[in-house]
This record gives sequence, structure tokens and C-alpha cells, in this order.
Amino acid sequence: MSVRDLKGKRGWLAFAGCFAWFAFTLFPLYWVAITSFKTPPDVVGGPTYLPFIDFQPSLNAWRDLFSGVRGEFYSNFWSSAIVAVSSAVFATLLGTMAAYALVRFPFRVRLVSGLVFFAVAMGGFLLGRDVLDFPPATASIIAFCVALALSVLVNRFNLPGKVMNNDDIVFWFVSQRLFPPIVVAFALFLLYSEMGKMGLKMTDTYGGLTLAYIAFSLPIVVWLMRDFIAALPLEVEEAALVDNVPQWRIFFGIVLPMARPGLIATFVITLAFTWNEFLFALFLTNSEWQTLPVLIAGQNSQRGDEWWAISAAALVAIIPMIVIAGLLGRLMRSGLLSGAVK
Amino acid sequence: MREDPVKYLFLWPAFLVVLAMAIFPLIFSLANSFMSLRLVPPMPARFVGTDNYADLLTNPRFWQTVKTTSIIAFTSVALQFVIGFGIALALVKRVRGAEFFRVTFLMPMLVAPVAVALVARQIFNPTMGPLNELASFLGFPNLPYLTDPTWALGSLIAVEIWQWTPFVILLLLAGLQGLPEDVYEAAELENASPWQQFWSITFPMMLPVSAAVVFIRIVESFKIIDTVFVMTGGGPGVSTETLTLFAYQEGFKKFNLGYTSALSFLFLAVVLIMSLIYLAILKPYLEKYK
Repeated sequence: MSVRDLKGKRGWLAFAGCFAWFAFTLFPLYWVAITSFKTPPDVVGGPTYLPFIDFQPSLNAWRDLFSGVRGEFYSNFWSSAIVAVSSAVFATLLGTMAAYALVRFPFRVRLVSGLVFFAVAMGGFLLGRDVLDFPPATASIIAFCVALALSVLVNRFNLPGKVMNNDDIVFWFVSQRLFPPIVVAFALFLLYSEMGKMGLKMTDTYGGLTLAYIAFSLPIVVWLMRDFIAALPLEVEEAALVDNVPQWRIFFGIVLPMARPGLIATFVITLAFTWNEFLFALFLTNSEWQTLPVLIAGQNSQRGDEWWAISAAALVAIIPMIVIAGLLGRLMRSGLLSGAVK
Repeated sequence: MREDPVKYLFLWPAFLVVLAMAIFPLIFSLANSFMSLRLVPPMPARFVGTDNYADLLTNPRFWQTVKTTSIIAFTSVALQFVIGFGIALALVKRVRGAEFFRVTFLMPMLVAPVAVALVARQIFNPTMGPLNELASFLGFPNLPYLTDPTWALGSLIAVEIWQWTPFVILLLLAGLQGLPEDVYEAAELENASPWQQFWSITFPMMLPVSAAVVFIRIVESFKIIDTVFVMTGGGPGVSTETLTLFAYQEGFKKFNLGYTSALSFLFLAVVLIMSLIYLAILKPYLEKYK
């Protein structure tokens, strides 16, 4: 839509509006950047704005940060990076596989088997914990496995009731985003601590946090990748099928390379989520695998008004994502995300 | 669509992860919400039926958090939508510097909300922050941005707008780029003013995308915790406490498990009711313009 581009007075008005928004967008980022170079008197003595004119920039805050006198910043940075990148990679891979299956193959799930899963999982868990006196973690695992097995079995029989197809399964994935994450975060925290009592440490581990992140990124990945994959031409795959190329090679060798732009966009969006995530990290980690957002939030109460240090720490969390924003902006310019809005 | 048993290998990993890590905990929580269950001091589980829910529904603090969360969500999303639509229109009509604006406008949405909140605390600070200096320069009194209940709510909304308008811009821009040109050419021939063109073509045609964007934003806004956690901690008092923060306080500080689980489910119910009302209101309009 660009029949008539803005010209003349309207054009200048729109430009003024955009410029005002630009200033509003940039000011906080500018502020945190200059604050990280201030010395304590420059901060406490009232606001100062221009380096070299208002105040003399100093590298003290950054030096403190990197020398580690202010706690284990390095280790938190690396746990954050490892968890964020690897969960984004796994979520994109698993989600793309699922999206591919949902676009190319028909699935049928009976509503009854979903209800069976719900009833058996909940009933089995309560039975195990409160009647048979199993530890809660054992009861959960047994209930989960039995419920899953039964519902898969039920799905094989020709029972009455609604049969759900691929669109319903996609909706099932996407609807996870509707749930307030606190419901799951708190429950996972409890389940993890119970598993810890059984000797399987899950809280404050790489696996525990990454699994939670993968689960919570998958809905978006499936939703985005479904549109990208549906837009791919079918002919190449059909030609490969005629040549008897195995399905996994079609997927990894043909589909993934063709879907590369979509994969990059999805990966970037997922990464932004996993890097910035706060709630799960707050519940599921406490020291070794604590991520940057939780560490930074803690600075607030620990350091009060030491803004120079807080700003430097906040910038470490901000800068990688600003780089990514540039990347996403370039992707958007090529009209890549337009497929996602349908 | 073709048949091949290999399809299960593709779907099941993702399916299992979501089932085990999102659905099962949900069921686990639901089971706990009918129990009286405490970790500290440890207490054996006792079935209490819907007592937890009844307690919550008569707890004024619960209703206070519902109100606070709704105010933050609805006000900030409404403003995000208006501002975002304006900017997306300007960008699609190639305002001067559109290419440059496009990239910078995206940035806030990728910044960690926790970091944003820390920066906001500095800017809103009454003595050392720039905002109050600007206010006094313009002749306004010094304002208690984070310590007065109304202003604190306003500050949170401002931060939400700063952070999430980019998301609205991103999706609306993609929608605008997909609108057909010929309708506008016809309108040009009829000498329709830009104002008429907007209200009779652009806005109705953008309604489905707009509805989706607003829906996503409201649902996401209801989950707000990090910004509030850092900026006000729910204070002053409990005047800016949101649903998620309330659940966190109850669960993590008091370890009252049954109660917290019930709270999370009421929260879910609130979100579901909101979504249904929203969809019911919107449905006639969406069908009209289909």
C-alpha cells in the first residue's frame, strides 16, 4: 500500500511525529549508556547529560564489572548465553519438525484420548501421592507415563466423539501462550524440588531451565514455521520422494535449507524471548545457572543508587539484543515477516 | 498430504516436551488447588474442595490485583495500538528516514524488561533523574513518580508503551504492506480525502490484523511481572501489585501451595473470560469486513 507517499505538510508532520517517537525510544538507551560511564558524584549530584561537557566519563564501572569485584558476573553471563542460545536452537529445530509434520502429513487425535490423559494424569497423581503414599515426584512420573500410554491406546480405537485434525493441534500448541506462565513456573518449581529429593537435581541446572524454555518457545515456533513451510514449493520434495530419498534427508537436506529465512527470523524471535526471560529463571535457578535478568533485578535491592554499576550490568544484557534488533530490522525490510501475519 | 509413519518422529518430540513441561504441571497445579498444602511449616496434604477459591474470591487483595492488572493492560495496549498504527502508517507511506526509523523503532521490544525497568527507575528518580529536572524546568512541581499510587501506575504504563509499541508497529506494518493497491487507486479517482481513505479502506481492511495484535498484547500484558517487580515491587503498599506478582508473593514467600495454585487458576479464568468477551464483541465486525 503506497499509492500516495506522504508529501508536503503532511510529510513533515509525519516526520515530526516519527522523530518525537525516535527521541522517546532512544533517550532511555542513551541514558543507560552514559550513566555507565559516570563517576558517583556525577550521578548523585543531579542529572548530567553530555559526556566531556557535563561530566568526565570514566571506565570505573566497567572495570569493576569485568574484574569481578562485584560478584560472579562472568559465570552468570555465560549461563545466560548458553541457556538462551541452546534452548532457542532446540526449540527452533523441534518446532520446525513439528510444523513440517503438521503441514505435510494428516494427524487425527480423538478428543476422548485428550480427556483420558487429563483424567488419568490428575487422578493417578492424587491416588499415588495421597492414597498409596508415594513421594510426589514418583507419583507424578508414574501418572504421566500411564496417562500418556492409555491415551495413545484409546486413540487407536474407533470411539465416538470429536476427532481433531492438524489445525486443532496447531491451536493446541498456540493456546499454551494464553496460560499465565506463573501457573506452570510454580508447578515446575515444586516438581523440580520433589525430583531433587529423589536424587535427580533439576532446580538450578542447565537441563531444568532449558527444558522449560524449549516448552515455552515451541508454541511460537510452530505457529511461525507453519506459515513459512506451507509457503515452500512441494515439487522439490515430490521429486526427491520419487527418487526414494529417505524422509529425514528430505527434511534436513531440502526443507531446512529452503526455509532458511524463516528459520532465522524464528530463531531470532525465540532467542529474544529466552535471553530476556525472567519468571522461570527466578523460580528455577538460584546460583550456578542464574541468568542475567535475575542477577540484574537483584542489583536493585543490593546496591540501591549505585547507578553507574547497575547501568553497566544492564547494558551487558541489552547490547546483544540491540545487535539482534539490527538483524531483525534487515529481515523485516525484505518483507520476510509478512507471512507471519495471517 | 501424504501418509508415512515417520510423521510421528517429527511431531512427537515437540509434542512430548510441551505435554510434559506445560500441560502436566498445569494438571498438577489444578490437583493441588483443591488441597490445603504448605511447605513451610510442612503440613500433610488435606482435601479442602473449593475452599481456596472461595477464600480468594472474598479476598479484597485479589480483586485489587485484578483491577491493577486490567488497568495496566487495557490502558497501555490502547495507547500502544493508537501510536503504533500512526507510526506504521507513516512508515508504510515512506516518511523521510523511514528505513532508519524502522530499525531503531524495533529496539525496545528486544531489551530485557528487567533492564528497562532499571533504567526507568533512574529516569523517574525524584532527585537524580532527568524527568523531574525537565518538569521543574517547565515549571511543574516535582512529582513522586514511583511513590504515589496513581503516578506509579502511570509510570508502569509509560514503560509498557515504550517497550511494546514496537511489537504493534512490526505486525501492523507487515499487515499494511499486504493491502492491495487497486482499492486506493480507485479511491484516488473518486477524489476521496486521505481521512476518508483511512476510515473507509485502511482501517476496515486492517481490522483482522489489528484484532489479533491487540489480543496478543492484552494476553501478554496480563502476565506482567518483571517491570513491576523491579520498578515498584508492587508498592506503594500493594497499589501496583499485579496478578503474577501476587501469585509470586504468595507462593515463594509464604509457600502456601494450594492457595497459590488456586490463585493461578483464577488468573487463568480471568484471562479466558477476557478473551471470550473480547472475541464476542469483535466477531460481528470481523465478519462484516470479511
